[in-house]
Amino acid sequence: MQLLRRLMPRKGLHSTKFFAWVLIAPAAAYMCLIVAWPLVETIRLSFTNSGLGIEDYVGFANYEKLLSSRKFPDTIGRTFYWMFLSVGLKLILGLIGASLLAANLKGKAAFRVLVMPPWIVPIAIGCIGWLWLYNGHFGILSGVLQNLGIIDGPFEFLAYKNSAFYSAIVTDVWIGTPMITIFLLAAIQNVPRDLYEAAYIDGASRWYRFRRITMPQIMPMFASMALLSAIWTFNSFEIIWILTEGGPRGGTTTLIVDTYKTAIANYKYGQGATRAVLIVAILAVFSLLYLWLVNKVNKKYGDEK
Amino acid sequence: MKKLLTAAAVGAGIIMMMAPVVQAEELHFVMCGGEVREADQKVIDTFLANNPDVTVNMEAVPWGTCQDKSMTLAAAGDPVSLAYMGSRTLKQLAQNDLIVPVEISEEEQASYQPGILNTVSSDGKYWGFPHAFSTKALFINCQLIEDAGLPCVGPKTWTGLYNMAKAVKDNTGIAGIGLAGKDFDNTMHQFFNYLYSNGGSVINADTNEITLNSPQTVETLELYGKLLDVAQEGPTAFERSQIKALFNDGKVAMYIQGPWGRGAHKAGMKVITVPVPAGPSGVSGTLLITDSIAVFNGTGHEDTAMELARALSSGEAQYDLDSSWGLTPIKQYENGIVDKPYYENDDYWKVFVDPIGSGGPEPMFVDFKSLQTSINSMIQGMLLGEDSAENLVAIAAEELEEFK
Repeated sequence: MQLLRRLMPRKGLHSTKFFAWVLIAPAAAYMCLIVAWPLVETIRLSFTNSGLGIEDYVGFANYEKLLSSRKFPDTIGRTFYWMFLSVGLKLILGLIGASLLAANLKGKAAFRVLVMPPWIVPIAIGCIGWLWLYNGHFGILSGVLQNLGIIDGPFEFLAYKNSAFYSAIVTDVWIGTPMITIFLLAAIQNVPRDLYEAAYIDGASRWYRFRRITMPQIMPMFASMALLSAIWTFNSFEIIWILTEGGPRGGTTTLIVDTYKTAIANYKYGQGATRAVLIVAILAVFSLLYLWLVNKVNKKYGDEK
Repeated sequence: MKKLLTAAAVGAGIIMMMAPVVQAEELHFVMCGGEVREADQKVIDTFLANNPDVTVNMEAVPWGTCQDKSMTLAAAGDPVSLAYMGSRTLKQLAQNDLIVPVEISEEEQASYQPGILNTVSSDGKYWGFPHAFSTKALFINCQLIEDAGLPCVGPKTWTGLYNMAKAVKDNTGIAGIGLAGKDFDNTMHQFFNYLYSNGGSVINADTNEITLNSPQTVETLELYGKLLDVAQEGPTAFERSQIKALFNDGKVAMYIQGPWGRGAHKAGMKVITVPVPAGPSGVSGTLLITDSIAVFNGTGHEDTAMELARALSSGEAQYDLDSSWGLTPIKQYENGIVDKPYYENDDYWKVFVDPIGSGGPEPMFVDFKSLQTSINSMIQGMLLGEDSAENLVAIAAEELEEFK
């Protein structure tokens, strides 16, 4: 306390401000180093033709090239479709899983542990497992479908645009669902039991209680998870890269995969930076949407009501 | 006592300053492929013995990341001294002043197989010492051909190839041919084997004019469309090593592979190896593909690195590597280098050596990664039935203009 008093400003507002700046300086410097500087450098690179051994400023040429590319609109559309479909499935399955795990069953602790592995197993290991499952000639999925007579020969899931895309979605959902399940389970467990008891006494059905008590009560968490999951899924790289590397013929290339291919695989750092800037812009809009929506949800269902 | 100690310290300092400064040179050598072969190690050991002031820091890196590593280090201003990598990278590195041209004596030039030096030359200079070479041929599982009721004789033309593959598919239900269609370098390489067997080309090395958009390329792509019906399911999920696995399991009757194929197939399989069948507009050909040792610019010891690279690729050292590894001979060893080279009077090697003269080089592009992307996209477009061969070839040719 003595030390604090000694450090505290003695003369007027000017010193107070200075002291405040001294206090936040380490955090500000840290943020500048790990966030601001890379961001500014990425924006700067996006206006250059930076590549192997060259770097000249080219103005908006990279942006013009990207926006006039015949593949770019497909990539954007595919990225949003990938995000909405995957997040939608993760939320539905996560909600179902959380509801089932919240039920007062014998051995529920064991079930809660069993739901975790896809989340805990390193993504690369999980994806390699899925690669084997999707293999048409040696994989179990193709084998089972053949044995059941559904297909009459091997089927390579990753060889065609649509099947590769939906296969990647399945893997992404498999990896992403447990986390949402656990978070929603925590939210469900926080719903006051007396609400259910009162509704039960009033004769409310199980579905009615879920719809009118559980959902409104967990809605703030649900909205938060939806938007966080959307951001993570938008930037989901390793699953697609390990399964298909964005192929066949760009059929699973999302914006983040396209950025990697351009900047790292093809050494076009300037053009890659342009894509990265675009991702930042899109995710910034999402973040604003996130804050706005969570605020709305909290007002409607949360404590502020 | 204190004075004595001070004097001793000063004296020791002066002696250390006066001692002759021996500046050791450390060469950082990146070897793509994940291993340093015994033949290369032998040369490096001799080089070190002859140059006691030099050390060589060998780093064997798998192919998947190796070239990216060497190129990115060079671009970041921290180049390796020398690297063994695909010759297709040389033009891009040369254009960006990241590697230095190499001097190959006239005598050495004359010792190489025809076409080899084209794979490392650009703007009238050589940019690497060719160090590994392969040609390709068609491997046929005779058991499956005979099961289909055909004699096991290699097809000479594309029509013969298709008919043989179709007979296998129709009569045994097994894929007649293996097609590589994954977004991988050997998908493009396989296509070039067919393209060069049909008189086609990608770029005119002299004029730098893109020549891909030709009837020969369209015919080659149409062949892919036709072979699709008799190939393994889902070629766009396969690259060559995966097809080799199918071939070994008796799930594919024929596929194109390099000379190392003989040692990679299951023991006991009855396999014949024949030249790549000729297309309607050409004669049997092959892709001439080399890997080279490049010397990087800006290390301060380019001359020493050059000396080591030259030693590794010189006559007998190179022969040791080719013969022990089982590669197509990169030099004409029979012309005064070795008495009885391993491929002489050998029917297996004849299939890989004879087409060298009619083969075409791996095209030299400034942006070789984009070349691969465009060619693979063209191939996949055909395999997925997304467009006509004419359109796909025209699109790829247009894209290549930007990358040459």
